[in-house]
Amino acid sequence: MFELSQRGPRILFGLTTVLVGLFLFAPIYWLLISAFKGNSELYRIIPTLWPGEPTLTHFSTAFTRGNLLVNLKNSLIVSGGSAALNMALAAYAGYALAKFRFAGRRMLMIVLLSAQATPFGLLLITIYPSLVAFDLLDTHLGLILASIVFALPVSTYMMFSYFSQVPGELIDAARADGASELRIFHTIVLPISIPALVTVFLYAFMWSWNDLLYSMTLIVSEEKRTIGPGLLLNYLNETNADWGGAMAASLVASLPILIAFAIVQRSFIQGVTAGAVK
Amino acid sequence: MATLQLSGVCKSFGTTPVLHDIDLDIGEGEFVVFVGPSGCGKSTLLRLICGLDTIDSGTLTIDGEIVNDVPPAKRGIAMVFQSYALYPHMSVASNMGYALRLAGTPKAEIERRVEAAANVLRLGPLLKRKPRQLSGGQRQRVAIGRAIVREPNVFLFDEPLSNLDAALRVDMRAEIAALKQRLGTTMIYVTHDQIEAMTLADRIVVMNAGRIEQVGSPLELYRRPANRVVARFIGSPRMNLLPGALVGDPAAAEIGVRPEHVRLAGVGHGLAGTVRMVEHLGSDLFAHVEIAGVEERVVARLDGGREVHVGEAVSISVDADTSHRFDAQGKRMAPAHNDRRTA
Repeated sequence: MFELSQRGPRILFGLTTVLVGLFLFAPIYWLLISAFKGNSELYRIIPTLWPGEPTLTHFSTAFTRGNLLVNLKNSLIVSGGSAALNMALAAYAGYALAKFRFAGRRMLMIVLLSAQATPFGLLLITIYPSLVAFDLLDTHLGLILASIVFALPVSTYMMFSYFSQVPGELIDAARADGASELRIFHTIVLPISIPALVTVFLYAFMWSWNDLLYSMTLIVSEEKRTIGPGLLLNYLNETNADWGGAMAASLVASLPILIAFAIVQRSFIQGVTAGAVK
Repeated sequence: MATLQLSGVCKSFGTTPVLHDIDLDIGEGEFVVFVGPSGCGKSTLLRLICGLDTIDSGTLTIDGEIVNDVPPAKRGIAMVFQSYALYPHMSVASNMGYALRLAGTPKAEIERRVEAAANVLRLGPLLKRKPRQLSGGQRQRVAIGRAIVREPNVFLFDEPLSNLDAALRVDMRAEIAALKQRLGTTMIYVTHDQIEAMTLADRIVVMNAGRIEQVGSPLELYRRPANRVVARFIGSPRMNLLPGALVGDPAAAEIGVRPEHVRLAGVGHGLAGTVRMVEHLGSDLFAHVEIAGVEERVVARLDGGREVHVGEAVSISVDADTSHRFDAQGKRMAPAHNDRRTA
């Protein structure tokens, strides 16, 4: 680590860091304090920066009104399924791109990454009729399959970067020991790639968990609805806007991601930076 | 134990040829060392023998059977890699038993063989540890142990000591030499360290630019190098090369002299020069002498007790019976008839 001793750069870097921190943290702080404010305080013209009389009313209504728990369960199924599928596909594709030489490999990499630049709304135009054709519309499986488009290109690239760092001699040693290519991948490479796999899983899970467009469009039954549309339709519809309830329910909805991130943040950081330095 | 024969073996990577027409016979129980400068193709040749890369043309025969298309595990070969290549998530015992598990060997047999190899290599107390909990030398022993448990007919070593510090390298070299005595298995060893080559090998194969320059016993290569490449590669400090005309042998393009055969005397007794550097090694002393008309400084190996000073004017002389003659193409020439050469 370096000691930043020069005054000018210290102010510039310090100020930028504080501003970025504020920009990212302010909405979370607002969500947090609003969830604990009573309605009278919540709708004041001059807002307070700390709940005057903290209350848990919104949390009790969040769990009694609407289908918060059902929405959460559905989201866990869809995001967990999508993240697992995304991780598996990214791992196989990333390994192939990193460790095998075949015609069109570079072109495939470019196409793969350019897919991430395509607007997700545009992809929905082709995904929707495909799901209809396979009778997967309004099903969790349909939404799981559709959701992998969010994270798969970047996930594949992340796995590619990680696998590129796996020493060739390790794979050669397993080949010399008599392992098949698939066995090498499953018994040697995957067990030492857990930080990267966790990173990719979490990355895809967050994309899917935070999605609104696909889950609104591809799920119509209330009992299959995920957390994003659930929050929106329960608390912020055309006739009603329960901000307190929305904030409390949003806080509850954010918890799984926050907890998961807190648990695996060390390997997440390792995974994101893998390949950056030797 | 096995015999191994390479016949007309060629290998290219893309359009770049790496190995040209390699012919080599390796006998049963022989310890053969491939040496040569970086990029000479010695590791590639080892990978071809192991089956990790495919042979473009020519044949590789093990015990009379052509094995070009036989997968690595079925060749009866085990390889020890430069970086050890231990599986980091497996214990020492699992690392050593991995190949046997893949081959479907019964569990009791795997345990017996792992234990036997661990005893030979003093790894017994470490069997449950992970590679990250081992020192460099211990890891190297596990890598060798992993090869031993397979009871191969041929061992391949790819620069196995290059990651170890100098002291440990000496210990492990002795351990490999002892292993060779104990097992008697055919071994092929790649290194760029000529001390390893000289001390371990029954025969040394000197390679350069994808070709075999010479094959012979360590002393044969040292005493009768076939060309200037071998002459310069074998021996440390390397052989001095002097223009033939300068030392009274115009028929030879160059005269090669080992540092221990360079004689240093006072001014007027040979080629005049100036001492530019002195290296004291305790038992020996290396004097680097600058001589007009000689591109590189001539190194003389002298007795450690001798007094030589930088800047001292000296003269050097060489004997015909201890020097080597090379023609313009760098090939060895027959000895000249005059028995003493000085300038």
